[in-house]
Amino acid sequence: MTPPLTAPSGKVAAKLPLRVALVEDQRDTRESWRRLISSFPDFACVCACATAEEALQTLPGTKPDVILMDIFLPRMSGIECTSRLKAVLPKTPIVMLTASDEDEMVFLALKSGANGYLLKRTKPAEMRAALLDVMSGGAPMTSEIARQVIESFHAKATGRSESVSLTAREEETLVMLTKGYSNKEIADRQSVSIETVRTHLKNIYEKMHVRSRTEAVANYMSGCKE
Amino acid sequence: MKWPAVYFTIGLLGRSCSLPALAQSEPSGTVTNQPASQDLAGKLDPTWGVGSWIWAAETYDKQTVHLWRSFEIPQGTTVAKANLRITVDNAYKLFLDGRQLGMGSDWRSLTEYDISQILDAGRHVLAVDAFNDNREAGLLFGLIIELSDGRVITISSDSNWRIVPNEERGWELKQEALKNWVSATVVSEFLPRPNSKIKAREFDRKPTMIVKVPVLRPVVVRFWQNGWFQISLLGVAVGAVLTCLHLLARLVLQAKAQALLNRERARIARDIHDEVGARLTELALEGEVMQTELSADSDLRPKLDALCEKARAVSGAMDEVVWAVNSQRDTLRDFATYACKYARRFVAATPIRCRLDVADNLPDAVFELPVRRSLLLAVKEAINNAVKYSAADRLFLRIHVQGRVVLVVVEDNGKGFDLEQADPLRNGLSNMKQRMRELGGRCRILTEPGAGCRVEFEVPWSKTSRPPAATSARAGGSAGSGNGSAGDSPALSEAKEAAN
Repeated sequence: MTPPLTAPSGKVAAKLPLRVALVEDQRDTRESWRRLISSFPDFACVCACATAEEALQTLPGTKPDVILMDIFLPRMSGIECTSRLKAVLPKTPIVMLTASDEDEMVFLALKSGANGYLLKRTKPAEMRAALLDVMSGGAPMTSEIARQVIESFHAKATGRSESVSLTAREEETLVMLTKGYSNKEIADRQSVSIETVRTHLKNIYEKMHVRSRTEAVANYMSGCKE
Repeated sequence: MKWPAVYFTIGLLGRSCSLPALAQSEPSGTVTNQPASQDLAGKLDPTWGVGSWIWAAETYDKQTVHLWRSFEIPQGTTVAKANLRITVDNAYKLFLDGRQLGMGSDWRSLTEYDISQILDAGRHVLAVDAFNDNREAGLLFGLIIELSDGRVITISSDSNWRIVPNEERGWELKQEALKNWVSATVVSEFLPRPNSKIKAREFDRKPTMIVKVPVLRPVVVRFWQNGWFQISLLGVAVGAVLTCLHLLARLVLQAKAQALLNRERARIARDIHDEVGARLTELALEGEVMQTELSADSDLRPKLDALCEKARAVSGAMDEVVWAVNSQRDTLRDFATYACKYARRFVAATPIRCRLDVADNLPDAVFELPVRRSLLLAVKEAINNAVKYSAADRLFLRIHVQGRVVLVVVEDNGKGFDLEQADPLRNGLSNMKQRMRELGGRCRILTEPGAGCRVEFEVPWSKTSRPPAATSARAGGSAGSGNGSAGDSPALSEAKEAAN
C-alpha cells in the first residue's frame, strides 16, 4: 500500500523541493498562485508563464516536475498547449486549473494529455495533496469523467485508433467509478490493491492520449487527402 | 350547374308519330281550352310540332342571333306535360329561365326536351343563342304545355320572339323585353306545301328526325351550392388561413424570442462566472496568500481563513447559479451529471457512501430551467434529509427515464421513519411535494421505521417541451392515473433490497 494521498510519500521527498511551473494569463492571479505554491513546504515555483506560447518556449528548457495549466488562455488554449507540451515533455505531469468544473472542457484536457484537474477554489492543503498524488503516479478520475471516457471508447473509432481499446478490467473499473465507488472500494471489490486500481486508471489515461493522438493524425491525414 | 353532355335517343320520325303537336294555324303562345285529348294524333299528322323558321331581319354568314321570348303559366295550375322541340340552322344553345337546357348543331334533326318537371306556374323566359354558319338561317321551335286542368299552352317560333342585341348582358334572364329588342322575322314557313311555289326568301328545309333527350329534372340546389354558403365557406377558409399565418408568425417570433433569451441566458451565465465567480476565487486565493505571510500565531489567521472559506463557498454557490441560468445546460443529461456531482460532493464529507445509478440511454432531451432547477432543489432537500436524519451508510441516487417521465430516486438504507408521525414542514417533505406539483410531476415517499427511505420524484419530459406548462399538464394526468393502483409494496421491497 502506498501512503495516504495527503501525505508526501518517501519517493517524492527524495526529489524535494518539487519544481512547479505555472501557466496563467491573469497577472494578479498568477502572482498569487506563485506565492501560494512557494509557501508550501517542499514546493518551489520555478516558472510562471502568462501565455501558452511563452510556456512552449520556456518549459522544455526549465523541465519542471509538474505543470499547473489554466484551461482558458488567450490565443492558444491550455488544452492545445498541454497537447504540445506532452510531445516534448511526455513524463511531466500536467494538472489543469479550471474556475468551474465544466466536464466537457476538463475531458478534452484529459484527452489531450493532462493528468488531472483542480478547481481554482480548491483549498491550498487539498491542492498540495492532489499535486503530490499526481507526482506519485495518481490519475484521479471522477464519475462524470469516467462516464465520458467510456462513451468515447465506445464511440466509433477513426483511423487506427481502434487498435487501442480498454481491457475488461479497465472498463469494469470505469463503470464502478461512474457508480460512485471510490478507488478504495473498487480495490476491495476487485480484490486487488489500491495501487493496481491506480495503475488501471493510469493506463486508461495513457490509452486515451494515444487514441486522441492517432485520431488527430487520422484527421490530419484525411484532411490532406481531400 | 352544367347540364351533362347530351344523350340522344334517336328515333326516326314517321307519319304515324303520335306526338302532341301545335296546330299550325293557331296563334302561338295562347292558352286554348281544348281538352288534351283533342290535341292527339290525327291532327298532328303533317306537323312536327314546331312553328315557322324565324331569324333576325338580316341574315349573314357567321352570324350570332339572340332570340328571346317570355310566357306565363297561369297561377294555380300545374304542368302535366311539357315538350319542347327545337333546331337551328346551324347551331343553338337553349336556355329556360337562364338555365341552359341543351345545345345542338344539326338542323336536320329536331331535338325534343321533356321539361314537364321543370316548369311551374308563373313567368318563364326562353332564350336561344343561335348561330348561322353560312347562307340561310333560322330557328324552328315549338313548345306544348299541357296543364293539369286540361288547358294547353302552345308556343311556336313566330314573330312574338324578340331579337336581342348581341351586346346585351344577362338577356337570357330578363323577364321583360326592352324597347330596342325588335320582333323576330319569319324567314320561311315550315315545310312549304309541296304544291306551293317556294318564294325567293323561303328555303326548303325540313328536319328528318326527332332526337329526344332524357327528361330534364329540376335543378336541386343543395345548401352547399348556395352562393351565400359558398361565400361564407370561403370567408371561413380565408379566416382560417389568416389565423394560421398569424399563429405561424407568432410562433416564429416566439421561437426567435426564445433563441434570444437562451443566448442572453448563456451570456449572463458567462458574465456571472467570469465577473463574480472567478473574482471570488481570486479573492479566496489572495486571502490564502496573505495567510501564508502572517506569522503562525497571528490572530488574523483564523479570521482570514474563515473569510477565504466564505469566498469559496459563495463561489461554489455561484457555480450552481451559473449552471441553472446557463441555457446550454438545458438538457436531461446535464441535469443528471450535475445532480450526481452534487450528491457525491455533499456526501463526501460524511461517512455515507454514495452510489449513482444513472441510465445509460438518457435521452438528449430539453429539460427546461424551471424544471431542472426545481427538481435539483427537491433532490438536494432529499439528500440533505438523508444525510441529516437517516443514519444510513449508503445513499443511492437513481436517474431513469420511463416513457415520458423522468424518475429520480433518492434512497437510503437508514432507519426510516413513520410517515404518519413525521412533521412534514420540518422535514421539508411538503416542500418537495409542492415543488413537484408545480412541475406537473409528483413526489412519493416510501418509508417505514427500520426500512430506509425512498423518495421518488417524477417529472414529465418531452422532446418538444418548450412550453413547460402544457407538457406538465398532460403528463401529470397520465402519471396520476398510473400510480393509484400500483401500491407501495414493490417499491418498498426494492428499497429494502437495496438497503441490504
